[in-house]
This record gives sequence, structure tokens and C-alpha cells, in this order.
Amino acid sequence: MKKVSQYLVLVLMSVMTVSATAAGQDADEIMKKSHLAYYYAGDDGQAEVTMTLIDKKGKERGREFSMLRLDLEEGGNQKYYTYFKKPSDVSRLTFMVHKSSGGNDQRWIYVPAVDLVKPISADDKNSSFVGSDFSYEDVSGRHWSEDNHTFVKEGELDGKAVFVIESVPKEKYKGFSRKVSYIDKTTLLPVKEEYFDKKDELIRVFTAEKIEEIDGIPTVTIRSMENIKKGTRTVVDFAQITYNVGIQDNIFTERYLKTPPRNFIK
Amino acid sequence: MKRRITEFSIKYPWTVIGIAVVITAFFAMQFPKMKVDTDPQNMLEADEPTRLFHQFTKEEFNLYDFIAVGVVNEPTAFTPDMLNRIYDITTEIEEIDGVILEDIMSLTTVDDIKQGGGGSLIIEPLMSEKIESQEEADYILGRIKNSPILKGKLASDDGKAIAIFIPLESKDVSHRVAGQIREITDRFGGGERYHIAGLPLAEDSFGSEMFVQMAYSAPAALLIIMLLLLAFFRQMRIVMAPMIVAMMSVIWAMGLLILTGNTVHIMSSMIPIFLIPISVLNSIHIISEFHDHYKRYKHKDATIRHSINELFVPMLFTSMTTVAGFVSLALTPIPPVRVFGIFVAFGIVVAWFLSLTINPAIGMLISTKALRNFGKADDSHGPLSKVMHTFRDLARRRNKSIIGVAAAVVVVAAVGLTLIEVNDNPVKWFKKSHPIRQADIVMNNHLAGTYMNYLVFESEDADYMKDPQVLGYMEKLQRELEKDEVVGGTTGLTDIVKKVRYELFGADSARAAIPDNQIEVAQMLFLFEMSGGDPDDLFKFVTNDYSKSNLWVQLRNGDNQLVQRVVDRGNAFMASNPPPEGLNIQWAGLPYINIEWQKQMVTGMRSSLLSSYLVVFIMMIFLFRSLRWGLISMLPLSITIMAIYAFIGYIGKPYDMPVAVLSSLTLGLSIDFAIHFIQRLRMIHARTNNFNESFHEIFEGAGRAISRNVMVIAIGFIPMMFSTLVPYITVGSFFLAIIVVSGLVTMLLLPALSVAFNRTLLPVIKKATGKVADRASGRAA
Repeated sequence: MKKVSQYLVLVLMSVMTVSATAAGQDADEIMKKSHLAYYYAGDDGQAEVTMTLIDKKGKERGREFSMLRLDLEEGGNQKYYTYFKKPSDVSRLTFMVHKSSGGNDQRWIYVPAVDLVKPISADDKNSSFVGSDFSYEDVSGRHWSEDNHTFVKEGELDGKAVFVIESVPKEKYKGFSRKVSYIDKTTLLPVKEEYFDKKDELIRVFTAEKIEEIDGIPTVTIRSMENIKKGTRTVVDFAQITYNVGIQDNIFTERYLKTPPRNFIK
Repeated sequence: MKRRITEFSIKYPWTVIGIAVVITAFFAMQFPKMKVDTDPQNMLEADEPTRLFHQFTKEEFNLYDFIAVGVVNEPTAFTPDMLNRIYDITTEIEEIDGVILEDIMSLTTVDDIKQGGGGSLIIEPLMSEKIESQEEADYILGRIKNSPILKGKLASDDGKAIAIFIPLESKDVSHRVAGQIREITDRFGGGERYHIAGLPLAEDSFGSEMFVQMAYSAPAALLIIMLLLLAFFRQMRIVMAPMIVAMMSVIWAMGLLILTGNTVHIMSSMIPIFLIPISVLNSIHIISEFHDHYKRYKHKDATIRHSINELFVPMLFTSMTTVAGFVSLALTPIPPVRVFGIFVAFGIVVAWFLSLTINPAIGMLISTKALRNFGKADDSHGPLSKVMHTFRDLARRRNKSIIGVAAAVVVVAAVGLTLIEVNDNPVKWFKKSHPIRQADIVMNNHLAGTYMNYLVFESEDADYMKDPQVLGYMEKLQRELEKDEVVGGTTGLTDIVKKVRYELFGADSARAAIPDNQIEVAQMLFLFEMSGGDPDDLFKFVTNDYSKSNLWVQLRNGDNQLVQRVVDRGNAFMASNPPPEGLNIQWAGLPYINIEWQKQMVTGMRSSLLSSYLVVFIMMIFLFRSLRWGLISMLPLSITIMAIYAFIGYIGKPYDMPVAVLSSLTLGLSIDFAIHFIQRLRMIHARTNNFNESFHEIFEGAGRAISRNVMVIAIGFIPMMFSTLVPYITVGSFFLAIIVVSGLVTMLLLPALSVAFNRTLLPVIKKATGKVADRASGRAA
């Protein structure tokens, strides 16, 4: 009798372990696919971006820039090129990122007023991107392997069937202590993300405001990030999106920072 | 009227006591609803422009009131161990409730703009992770000294002191947060010393300690007064009556204050301690009179009737004048002072009424047996009488010298009054040995200061603040303000632009200047936002549309006088160097608010003192129906106020809030002695119609009653002198001085004057007619 019960406990325990691992793998897999769908659409891409920064009193200020992206490997290294058009006092300012999925990213900025190209640091990925509520990491992506993901449940959000996944950084991280993602089951794009700080208070909420199919690829064309604590919000509108336009690697060099490539930047 | 009240109390003592107890219970039930408020900002009206502008500035630039933690270590605080400890401490402080964690300024959180590898520009925290070597520690200190934004603020140049600035959701959590920080530093700390400073902490901690003081001072005053009365009258049951009157007056006044929705502020917390000694005064006169005459009348009711009859007019007038002194505070523009004045006045009215009812009622309830020895001890040979007789002899024989000395005091005091310096600083409400004072001294010695004022640059146009002309003007103003040694440093948009430009060009000092075109300014600022600079850091100095900018002016000392000096310097510069077209510059900040309310307090107190002085003078003329006596009655309080304030001027004690409020009290109380002395001297004279006889008698019963009152008030305030809070000590010790001085003036100068001018002041009436004759005969019967 005793043996039987011991055996039962053993079986139960192993079943639980197996299912837990399965869910864990599921969550990792979902987050990986979502990351690829969101950050690596096509082999390259081009867009006209309008960013609206809304402060807590509702006052708005805008930024407009053209953006080029080239994927060197799926889920791996990427290059970004940004050409600012507005605000007018920073027009012609350009910015470039060589994203390295393993090590540190490299960033350069060209400051037209003093005609100078300057490498700028990328140590703090959590810092704000051009003063918006998006961080550099939100723009170029936080690698899925940096967090432990747990499958919470399947659910529904705004009429979409979603996976709800909770992510906790493996190493202590300033950006968040916990993140809850709602991943669209069909497109695998994140529909909503909630970021919590170390007091476990909600600090930021990402929302995919509009998802459209561009060249057959589901794309978030309007996204927003709300900073709950500060009461600020940033809305980013991607227009004239095109994928697989044949952007060359040599565009992402110092030469083109000073003189933008006319065939891509209007 | 008076007869009816007294008769009712004599006939139905239990009913009177019962009603009083019910009303007292009702007011006591309000106490749990008490709301505390220690914010000196509330010294100003809620819609006061200075206050609104400060609030606007805080919102516009996302500023919070902050407290500062200082770490001091010899020979240096910059060792890997120490810095790693600060790393841990900061991490723990971030988790305290009420702390704005994003805005904490510590080595581990504050961004530094610097050169990275490959000539890159980096903006990152000075110390983003724990360090291992001394070189790293030295490097961090070097970075702080190199940055105009951080120099002197986060660490002293000699490396002995490091500061952490902790912004708070609201000022009223400072005391609690400071306590939690102390737990953390105790846990992590080694040999180094930790200090916690800042105006919000001083203000909030004052509130908590205030209640300890209230809970201790008020009962202590009651106890001391009770013991003193027991020594005077040697009859516990009789002494209970004034105690009950005092307690009830306090409960009624505080109960009504709470019931009417007023908060208990620094000022109103002093109501009990003021009311207790004042409210026993009338009772002491009644009991003294009862004591002196009981053996003659033998019947309680007859003795009570006599005492009340004799004292009704002087009691009414002394209460009315004290009320006038306090009510005049209602004319000040400072809400807490108004509340204080009105409710002390209310308490005095209550005390007056209760004295007339509770005293007779309790007197009736004491068994005749218990009173059989009451008043038997012959007071006219007691020690008090001996003192009174000495005074009588002095006033008679040396009346000219006394008048001469008084005149000399007035002259010397007039000079002293011109030396008065108006000054205040909430941090100095604590004794020098208090940790908050110590922290203030140490941190402001080492660092750029824990007091923060702001100069807000405003314009209508977006991007206005990027104009090199505007930034150039701001820079000149900064250099001008920094000439004052109290200014530990200034930080503005200028410093960010200059620092970015300096680092962009590879740490080229020649480039650490405002560029001459607006596009370049704009791109420097954009570069700051692009290279990892926290936009929130930027927007503490400029609004996001660049129409307004905020210059931080850090001060090492929060004394209003010194803050005023800095403000004056800035204003003078702006007057002689007009700012660019379309630019408006205004001050904000807690220290600035403090100087604003102090200004209002000084002018407010002046007009309140003058008006109550006038009202009391008119009342005196009316009471004595004589301009001459009216003038003389004003002498004790006039000389006392002059002498006390001259003393403040001579010793260099700053004229601050408690000192200012004392003037009204002095006025209300010193006049009482004069009223009792003059009124009763004239009543005696009406009876005796002989100056020598009247002069002899006034130093007996009335003299003893007045000197008992002097002692009660003087001693009743002594517990305040042992407080840990300076305003309480000030009030306690000055009260002692005020009462002793005005008692002396009353008992020496007034008799001396009456001797010198007895023919005009107290003439012998040849034919006793009318009322005087009636009274005289009534008395004799």
C-alpha cells in the first residue's frame, strides 16, 4: 500500500514537471515568434514616421523622420537609419544604429549645425528614444532570451484571441521587473504590454492601436506607449511602409549620415 | 445681570456644574476629528499669488519637495566600500513609499555626460554598478567636480561628503520617510556619519514633536499652577475650581476649533498652553477675595456675593482687554495666526463666564466644615505681604527715582527697538543639538546647500528659451547670484547646453559656452535627449515647448534674512540689466515662500498691535471715565512691550513668528494688572476718601491677588522652557520676562505715580455725595 502511494506521488510530480516545462517552452516559443513578427518583418523596411509626444496636460509636440531598416540575420543583427525632418530646428540631423543581438549596439549621430558625426553610447538601453515614452529597446527590441517567460493563460482582448505571457528579467533590470504581454494568436504581434516596476506598480503600457497588412505582412502601423506614472503618452504612426526594397548595407555608414541616400529618403 | 448669574450658581450649583460638564463632553467628543497641519505654506492664504506661483512652478517643471541624505567620512567618502554602500542604500531608499523613485538624485542614478570609448558621447549614471577599485572611486569624484551640473551638489570637492536628494510625493511624509532612511543607513552604515536634512523634514518633524510638547507642556502647566495655588490657599477643594475652569476653557476652545473644521497648526497647538494660565486669573482674584473675607462673613454665599460684586467690573474689563489683544490677531493676513487669536479669545470669554459660575457653584458644594480654617492664617503677615510692604515703602519714599528709572528704560528701549532684526528659519525651530539642526549645519558646510529657490523665466513663445540671447542673460544672472556666499550653486538650461557642447567637441573647454545661433542650441539639446539623457532631467529646467525655463538657485542657509539678500541681489541685477524683450522672471521655492509670509507677518502684526493698543486705550478711558487714568493704565504694558522688544533687539534674537505673536499677548495681559490696581485703588479711595489710607490698603488684599497672578502666569509658562522646540522655549521664557516686568511696573511705577500726583489723581472729596457715599456706607455696614 505504501509503495503504491509513493509511486502515485512520483507519477503526479513528474506529470506536473512535464506540463510546466511544456508551458514554459510554449511561452518562450511564442515570445520568440512574436519578436520576429514585430521586429524582423521582411528582410528590410522603409517608413515615414510621425511621433506625437503628449505630456500630462495634453500638450503635444511632434517629431517626423524617415526610417530604414536592414536585417542582417533573422532574429540577429540589424541596422537602422533615421533621418529627422521635424522639429525644423533639428532637420537634416541623422542617426544610425548597428544593433548587435549578442553585444552592445553601436549608435552614431550627425549634428548638422556643427557638421559633426559623433558616436553615442548605447549602454543604457532603457533610456528614452528622442524624448518619447519609447525606450531605445522598445524601438529595436529586447531579445527574448533575456527574460524568463511564463504562460499565464489564453484570453481575449478587444475581440482578438490572445496568449497572455508574463516575463521576468533573468538579471535585475532597471526597465521593468515584470512584463505582461498579450500576443495576438493569429498574427503573433503584441497587442498590449504592461510593464511593472520593482514595487510591482504598473509603469508603462504599450498598445498596438492599429494592425494592417502591408505587402502581405501583418504590421503595427499605429502604436502607443503610455507612461502611467508620469501621465505622458507617445503615439507613433508608420506611413508609406514598404518591405523588401533592397536596401544596401553600405548605406549604414558615416558617409550617408552626412549625405542622406536620396533614393530612400525624400 | 451679574447678580442673576451669581445667584443662580449659588442656588443651583449642581445644575450649573451639570450643564458645564455636558457642554464640555460635547466639545471633548470633537477631539478625535483633529487634523494636523504643519506646512508653513499655510501661513499664507490658499490663493496667495506667491504660493500659487510656487505650485505652478512645481507642476510645470515636475518638481517635488525633497529631503537630502548626507554621508560624511574622514579622510574621504570616495572609497569603493563607501560608494558600494551608497549604491545599496539608494536601492533600498527607492522602495520606500512616498519617494519619487525616478527622480532620486544619487551617484547611482544621476546622469553624467562624458566621453566614452572611440570618442563617443555617453550619458549614463555616474555609477551604474558596484565598483571594485580606488581608481574607479577617484574617477567618479573627478566626474562630479568636472560637471557644472553636479559639482558641489552630489559631493563636496574634497570628497568628504556625498549627498542623496530624495524627492517626495508630499511634504507630510518626510518625517516617516526620514525614519525609514535612518533604519536603512543604520543597517548598511559603517564608521561614516549619516545626516538627513531639508526644509520639508524640519517642517514635518516639527509637527510630530509639537504634539509631544502639547501632551507634556499643558498638563505640566496645570500641575504647577495647581501646586502654586495650593501653596497660596492650602485648600485642595477650593483649588480644584480654577483647575476645572481652566480645563473646560481649553476643551471648549479646542473643541470648537476642531468642530469648525480648522486644522491644528503650529500656532493653534499653543492655544492650551496660553489659555491655561490666562483662564485661572479671574478665579485667583475670586478665591483671593473669598479667602480674605470668609472669616469676616462666615457664610459662603455672602462671601461669594461680596467677592463677585467687588470684582465684577475689573474682571469684565481685564477679560475684555485680553480678548481685544487676541482678537486683533484676526486682522493679520496669516490664517493660522487668525485662528489662534480667535480661539484663544473665545477661550478667554469661556473662562470669564465659567469663573463667574463654576467658582461659586463649587464653593457652595464645599462643606462648611472643610472651610473652617480657611482664611484663618493671617495673610497680612505672610511672606507675600512682606514683599508687598517693601514695594509700598519703595513706591512712597523713592517715587521720583522710580519714575526716573522708568523714563530711562523707555529711552534705552527706544534705541533697542531700532536694532530688531526680522528673521526666521523653520530648521532653527529645533535646538542646535537636534539631529535636524546638526544635519543642516554639516551638509550646508560641505555641499552646495539643502535649500532650493527657483528663478522662473517665462515667455509666450515656443522655443524662446533656445535663443542664445536669453541663455546669455541667464548665464550672467547666474554669475551675479553666485557672488553671494550663501548661494552654493546655480543650475540652468545653460549648463546643460554648455556641458553637451563641451563633451561633443572632445572635452574642449573653449566650447563650454553658449553657442551663438539658435539652431545649434536646439541640436545640442536634441543631442542630450538622443544620447541617453533622461528627458525628465531636461524638463526640470525647461518646459517641453521651450517657452519657460527654470533656474535652480541652491542655498546653503535658509535664514529668511539671507534668502532675502539673494533675492534682492537678483532683483537689483534685473533692474539694472533689463531682460530681453518678452521675458518675465519670477522667484519661487520654499525659502522664497517663507520670506513672503514673514513680510506679511511683520506688517500684519504691526497693524494688529496698533489697533488693539488703540482699542484697549479707548476701553480704559471708558472704564475709568478719565483720560489721565486711561493714559496711566497704558504705561505698564507700553513699557513692558518696549523693554522686551528692545531686549530682543539688543541680544540679537531674531524677530520671528512666536516673538511677533507675543506682542498681542503682552498687551492683553499686562493691562490686567493695571486695571486691577487702578480700579481697586479707586474703589478703596471712594470708600476711605483718604489717600494715605487707600495707598496703604491697595498693597494688602488687591496687591496680594495681583502678585499671585503674576506668579501663576510666570510659573505656568515655565514648562515650555524645557521644550526641545525653540518656538516653545522662546514663548515660555519671554512670557516669564513679560509678566515679571509688567508686574514690577504695575506694583512700582503706578504707586509711585499715584504718590507723586495724588492730589490730581486721587483727590480728597470734600462732600461725600451720591453714589460714592452709598458705596462707602454699604461697605462699612
